[in-house]
Amino acid sequence: MNAPLAVETANLERTYVSGRSTVAALAGVTLGIRRGEFVAVMGPSGSGKSTLLNVVAGLERPTGGTVRVDGEDLAKLDEVALARHRSRRVGMVFQAFNLLPRFSVVDNVALPLAFSGVPASERVRRAREMLDRLGMGPRADHRSNELSGGELQRAAVARALIGGPAILLADEPTGNLDSVNGAALIALFEELHAHGQTVLLVTHDAQIASHAERTIRMRDGRVVDA
Amino acid sequence: MRFGDLLSMSLGNYGRARLRSGLTTAGVAIGTALVVLLIALASGAEDNVRRSIFSIGDLRLVTVQPFQPGANGLSAVPRTITDDTVAKLKGVAHVEGVYRQFDAPLGMVVEAGDDGTIRPQGIEPGAPVDRGDLLAGRHLETGDRGVAVIPGNIARLVAPSADAAVGRTVTMRVGGAVKLGSTRIGGSGTPRDYAVKIVGVFDEQASQTSFRIPLDDALLAGAENRGLTADTIRQTTGYSGLAVEADDSTNVADIVKAVQELGFSSFSLKQVVEQIDQGFGVFKGILAGIGGVALLVAAIGIANTMVMSVLERTREIGIMKAVGAAPRDIRALFLAEAAYVGVFGGILGLALGLAGGQLIDRIIRQLNPRTNPAPIFVVGPELALGALALALGVALLAGFLPARRAMRMSALSALRYE
Repeated sequence: MNAPLAVETANLERTYVSGRSTVAALAGVTLGIRRGEFVAVMGPSGSGKSTLLNVVAGLERPTGGTVRVDGEDLAKLDEVALARHRSRRVGMVFQAFNLLPRFSVVDNVALPLAFSGVPASERVRRAREMLDRLGMGPRADHRSNELSGGELQRAAVARALIGGPAILLADEPTGNLDSVNGAALIALFEELHAHGQTVLLVTHDAQIASHAERTIRMRDGRVVDA
Repeated sequence: MRFGDLLSMSLGNYGRARLRSGLTTAGVAIGTALVVLLIALASGAEDNVRRSIFSIGDLRLVTVQPFQPGANGLSAVPRTITDDTVAKLKGVAHVEGVYRQFDAPLGMVVEAGDDGTIRPQGIEPGAPVDRGDLLAGRHLETGDRGVAVIPGNIARLVAPSADAAVGRTVTMRVGGAVKLGSTRIGGSGTPRDYAVKIVGVFDEQASQTSFRIPLDDALLAGAENRGLTADTIRQTTGYSGLAVEADDSTNVADIVKAVQELGFSSFSLKQVVEQIDQGFGVFKGILAGIGGVALLVAAIGIANTMVMSVLERTREIGIMKAVGAAPRDIRALFLAEAAYVGVFGGILGLALGLAGGQLIDRIIRQLNPRTNPAPIFVVGPELALGALALALGVALLAGFLPARRAMRMSALSALRYE
């Protein structure tokens, strides 16, 4: 297989220093995620699963080891290149949705494109297309604070996908949703996966994780079962 | 991030906290208005001084006065300026022309009533004082007798307009009681009336009392007032002054020296103007400093608002960074928001300053309808643009630290911020 892995880490470390004690959120994680794979990362809180996701997302820099996303070594990227990585190479979905309440849904979805210099009309056109694809077309012009939780998370997925990312990252995306909306969201992930989208999902819910092709279990900053 | 997106997005941020943005902008506006008003006041004062200086004559001019400067603190000694003096000065290098002047006693234009006080000034055709300031008619010419070129304010007292005054004949009363300001003074000699035809009207910004008449008419009036002849006046009293014109203002110093060697006191504007320019530079600096303090206070207001704004939008900054905003995008967004405060405050302040200046000008003019109508506040394009640039600059400086703070915020901790 010549094509690079979607995600490839080797001895990945991330330690936090607080006062005199040092906490290792990631204590040497080595794993690979193939393109088109749907992987769930499971583990109790404090196991380092969210840190792993944040490092892959380029929101946090590792303190040791390497991480490659779509072939790119993130350690070699400066702040500007890392911002570009966040806007184009990965798409992130958060537990808390993290949409801007004063923006309309379509503007929220188009936001990442603004930071990669896409003209406004083009941004809006692509955002509407994406919303239509996810069945959110009718809600495009609402303000995000007028949406239900399920709708908010769909809009957030649309925003994550707008840049055509190599990998979709989701950190407890169903955590703030009821079971019906949670199931619908996971169905959406499965559908995206069926169309070839690489998905990396962090959850502590085995039921959610069971929808993934593969589950990586973590504990104390280490992979215990891949 | 595109520049247009940056501007529209930060305008949205500016407009979101309307009251707070408005108050901060008002602070900048007041500071800018104060700077504009104070500098405009200094410029206006400088313009007025310069205008009155240039109305006396241009910088090539040396005025010869009929006395000798007192040496070592002694008072000046009177000296007679005669035609012999004139001949000698005409021989001095770089002298282009020598114009004699004789001031007859104070008098009035009878038809103009109490406000018609005049200073009949006998001059020669082409004299520097009688150049290029006409509202109507013409200047004095060779061979003129019994005519006058009069200030606009007197013209409007005897006719509906300056144009209508030209061609009219009025009574010039020389000597006797006249009103000066609000007081009436006795005046000199026996009043005597002369019929003079108005041939020209000049802009009274130069002088409101100067009544330009041919030199020989003034000598005659002066002589008759004292029961003498014109020739006696020429020889004993002498001329009131001479206007010596240099070929170039750089040669004024040489002529001043020649005049002093002849034993007369001289006055040249060139040296005075240089000192005045220097003085006004300092004056403007002080006033700008006072206005600057107001702007400094406004700058602190901006900085405070921006710090609040950064704090309030911490989570939003985190989201923007998470979806791909580069650090410089975040900094640019906050700087642009500060720039809006500066630009809007600057424009508003400029408008306030202009309006305030005009209002004060109008009030002063209404309180003193007869005084010099020249504006007291002068706002030139440099001041207007400078004020806008200053407001923008101050805002950007004030916004710099908060913007840097936003830029350096960690995306992850910003996202966790509640």
